[in-house]
Amino acid sequence: MEVTREVVLDAPVEEVWSALTDPDQLEEWFTEDGEERELAIVEVEPGRRVAYTWDDGNVAIELEEVETGTRVVVTETGEPGWNAVFALRSLAYAYA
Amino acid sequence: MNDVFEALGDPTRRHIVESLSRHEASATQLASELPVTRQAVSKHLTALREAGLVESRKQGRETLYRVNTEPLDVAAAWIVRVGGEWDARLERLRGLVSSRRG
Repeated sequence: MEVTREVVLDAPVEEVWSALTDPDQLEEWFTEDGEERELAIVEVEPGRRVAYTWDDGNVAIELEEVETGTRVVVTETGEPGWNAVFALRSLAYAYA
Repeated sequence: MNDVFEALGDPTRRHIVESLSRHEASATQLASELPVTRQAVSKHLTALREAGLVESRKQGRETLYRVNTEPLDVAAAWIVRVGGEWDARLERLRGLVSSRRG
């Protein structure tokens, strides 16, 4: 199962790359306040692509310089499991 | 368990799932609704069973199939949850790199 998200950030590629690979910066956006996760960087193509593994699955992030800044494309691959059933219940509440 | 979306990528399998969502049926009954052979229907049912989308029970000498939507619900919930988490994450990333602007 795969999910993809894409944004364009108003910042140069080098800055975004740094935020994706520097542990101190990763801490500031990858998790929410107080959340702890183990994240391992498994592949890098400097300035272009970084792949991580973490408890939920695998993530690949690709960067591309565009006129207005940097396009960031994230793809997470994982296996829906039983923990997704709890998400389904809260989803049902949201729709009710 | 195979990927539910892969299993549903075939129009004949989608027809089978849609039909079984309305009533239980045997492979023979399903084949009578479709322009494919009973053997083809059996192969599709195997793929759907492996994806967890179809279950079966024996009634006398017949095997009756019915749909199980749970794998689809689980997959959809995962997609919504993970997609939502990334939306939030990317907004935090945006805030982080923008806050550096002079």
